[in-house]
Amino acid sequence: MKNSSVSAQIEFKNVTKMYGTVAAVENLSLSVRRGEFLTILGPSGSGKTTALMLLAGFVAPTEGDILIAGKSVAAVPSYRRDQGIVFQSYALFPHLTVRRNLEFPLEMRGINAAERAARVDRMLERVHLKDYGGRMPSQLSGGQQQRVALARALIADPPVLLLDEPLGALDRNLREQMQGELKSLHREFGKTAICVTHDQEEALTLSDRIVVMRAGQIEQVDTPEALYDRPSTRFVANFLGEANILDNPGFKIESDAAQPAGTVAMIRPERICVAAPAAPKRADGNQRQSVTGTVEDMIYAGSLRKYHVRVGSSMLIVREHVASEQRTFRRGDEVRLEWLRSDIRFVIA
Amino acid sequence: METLQKTGRKPITRAVPASAMGRIRPVETLQKLRRMPILLSVPAFAILLAVYAIPIVELFLASLDAPSFSLAHYREFFAEGANITVLFQTIEISAVATAICVIIGYPTAYLIVAASKRLRIVLIVLVFIPWLTNGLVRTYAWVVILGDRGLLNNLMLELGLISSPLHLVYNRMAVYIGMVHIMLPAMILPLLSVMLGIDKSLVAAARSMGARPFVAFWRVFLPLSLPGLRSGLLLTFIFCLGFYITPATLGGLNDAMLSTFIVSQVEAVGSVASVAVPSFVLLAVTIVVLSVLGLDLSGNQGREGQPAQTSFRPSWLLSFGPLIRYLSELAASHRAKRWTAERYKAGGNSRRSAKTVGGVWVALAIFFLLFPGFVVMIMSFSDKPYLEFPPSGLSLQWYRSFFNDPSWIGAFWTSVQLGIWVAVLSTIVGTLAAYGLSRTHPRVRRPLTMVILSPITFPSIVVGVSVYQGLFALGMIGTQSGIILAHTVGAIGSVFIIVSATLANFDRRLEQAAQSMRAGPLRTFMRVTLPLIRPGVIGGAVFAFLHSFDELVITSLISVFSIRTLPLKMWEDIRNQIDPTIAAVGSMLTVLPVLWLIVLYVGWWRSRLTAQSGVSVPTT
Repeated sequence: MKNSSVSAQIEFKNVTKMYGTVAAVENLSLSVRRGEFLTILGPSGSGKTTALMLLAGFVAPTEGDILIAGKSVAAVPSYRRDQGIVFQSYALFPHLTVRRNLEFPLEMRGINAAERAARVDRMLERVHLKDYGGRMPSQLSGGQQQRVALARALIADPPVLLLDEPLGALDRNLREQMQGELKSLHREFGKTAICVTHDQEEALTLSDRIVVMRAGQIEQVDTPEALYDRPSTRFVANFLGEANILDNPGFKIESDAAQPAGTVAMIRPERICVAAPAAPKRADGNQRQSVTGTVEDMIYAGSLRKYHVRVGSSMLIVREHVASEQRTFRRGDEVRLEWLRSDIRFVIA
Repeated sequence: METLQKTGRKPITRAVPASAMGRIRPVETLQKLRRMPILLSVPAFAILLAVYAIPIVELFLASLDAPSFSLAHYREFFAEGANITVLFQTIEISAVATAICVIIGYPTAYLIVAASKRLRIVLIVLVFIPWLTNGLVRTYAWVVILGDRGLLNNLMLELGLISSPLHLVYNRMAVYIGMVHIMLPAMILPLLSVMLGIDKSLVAAARSMGARPFVAFWRVFLPLSLPGLRSGLLLTFIFCLGFYITPATLGGLNDAMLSTFIVSQVEAVGSVASVAVPSFVLLAVTIVVLSVLGLDLSGNQGREGQPAQTSFRPSWLLSFGPLIRYLSELAASHRAKRWTAERYKAGGNSRRSAKTVGGVWVALAIFFLLFPGFVVMIMSFSDKPYLEFPPSGLSLQWYRSFFNDPSWIGAFWTSVQLGIWVAVLSTIVGTLAAYGLSRTHPRVRRPLTMVILSPITFPSIVVGVSVYQGLFALGMIGTQSGIILAHTVGAIGSVFIIVSATLANFDRRLEQAAQSMRAGPLRTFMRVTLPLIRPGVIGGAVFAFLHSFDELVITSLISVFSIRTLPLKMWEDIRNQIDPTIAAVGSMLTVLPVLWLIVLYVGWWRSRLTAQSGVSVPTT
């Protein structure tokens, strides 16, 4: 995949960015396919923003090279790169109306007034802000500002779209709605999109592929599903969703595969079933491991219940979807936990 | 996020040969050189160095008898008992005046902050107006009030309290009154600036934890207001140290300050050392005060919400920033974010009697600040050729004599011309410097900022002596361009402070956004940065003009009677024959600040309002 530079729109080649003696990004190599929605996910300080800024041209790499459509851009200032950027908190020009904000990138590309007006009208309609062209950014709601920012990034039709925590400033409901909007805009315009976020849910819903970064380096690159289902390291397992890492479980872990050296067993909480100790075993019982433990805590969260169950020396988290005729366990109850042996994963410790 | 802040302007590199691509290091070095924003401060430093900084070093070396280096001149200075007396007198007068300013100013600022929002704006404007009024006029006003035939004496004679006029003027008390009157706004404004930023819910929280009102004030409000107090103290004390006009006008022979002594040395055309030595003694006192007060309370500077403030060392001068921001925010519609601060009033549920006392206090303070201006205005309509208040009849003759006297009108136009030149020059140069330094590493920025602000930090008499030396070397003594340069040295500082405060509020991502949309550095500056910092630039220009228009101490040293500015002409008149023509001029100059406030309002608040309401933005 790395050498398929024909279809690679963006390529990082051993890129390092130093701030003093600290490497914000270290030896980063990555290629992004044309039309792909790629998310860089990581905690703050992982270098994800620096990676985006390198791509945007606001930061020059200390070492290495960045290629866009096969051409090096390491020495090209941002204003000569053809890209649209959606900034964290949007960076809409507060002194210009929505319309003038949208016209700006067109004007900078020397497009005449009539053409500009037509394109702005079309774009405003597309983002459902037809009647808002005369407003100032401060008169818009968060979701509207976000749509203007997206429209502004897309209007000049750049092949590359960069998004810096695009939905971070929105509240929960709006965020979900905008995720859908963002996804459909991406499909419609067919841009290569690079998104930076620390929100795993956002990354999982939006992306074709996710890059998990940690301390300036790539931890794992994969599709959302593969990343969640088969994390390669403890860090990824913990960062993306919840994980039971069985360091010293106090019971023997049965697994179909042999445990590679330097790894530790992991199972996702929703892969574990909880039942009363005396409940009848399931039909596929021979493919399952079962252990008994004591409920230490039960957290009710609407559609699901979360149990903290002490098994031997470890505390397992179990997540169970709430269904009718389901037994609820309380603190102190004895329970039996079961899981498919094939659901055990080994991650690099 | 931090990376976003670090990256300012973009390199202007065009195509780089593909061969250079392999190793990026040399390219990056090249980009760094090209994007040195610090170069934008070169014009400002060129002026500062030539006219002021190099001369001050030369003077210092001369005072040390370089190249042989000895302290002989200083020993001579301190051997003279009279010199030591003057030195201590200078410190004493400054300290007492500052103390009075604190005693009057702190409660006043506190009460203004506690007032209802509308009243608060009015009060802040009323404190601003005298701050923008010509100092000479304000000093003259006290001659009118305290003079033998002045307001107070006439009033007391009328009431039969005294049988012959008291000598209220030309003594120490008059000097204090005049100095406090001039410096009180300089004490109140930084205090207000900091107090407005204190979250009143903190005081309410202390109260909820059982602190009595005074304890809550003492343990919570007072410590939080200390940065403002420090700014006010420094501003007031250092200005006082360099006072020349007020003691010379209102004081007697025993009230001489070091600046008076320095001026007499310049006028006596003594040796360079005889001027330099007292100047550096005065400067040494200034620096001691600056470093002592600067260090003691610096721990309080790192308060949240003003990260950009703390990156400048002389933050006490920049403490006007939050006030400026507060005033512009008032006009904005998004007041919601201040709601916590608004909800709990400092005065809270104080008793009625306390409210009355507070109200009377503020009223008296404002009266003290504004009353002399009114006196001058009334005086200007007098029909008598001598100083008499209240005037026994009314006439416009002094306005007529102003407009008919070519020497007055000439002086007026000279000042206007100089002011415009200074405003244009220092606004361009100072804005570039503020912009450039705001994009420079703090370690470089801080010392350079101190250099730029030193002409308005150091006592003006010291700056004047240095500038004299500098212009002398350039052969520009007594020329118009010489005066323009001399005023620009200080005006750059005013522009720099105001533009820097505005830039601190400026979201640099807007520039990145513009660049991501293919706007080059120049277009980004013109289309995005400049429109957004324009209020600060306009404010800077107004203050630069005022700086030049009111400047007297430095001008009097370097004009050598060949160029007569309005303050110089007024100064001569006050010293020689006191004729109410000057009252006519004074009353016009007192009305001027109102004009300035309107200019600021139009340039500043209006632009905020338009940005908020979007009414007047045409779409083409």
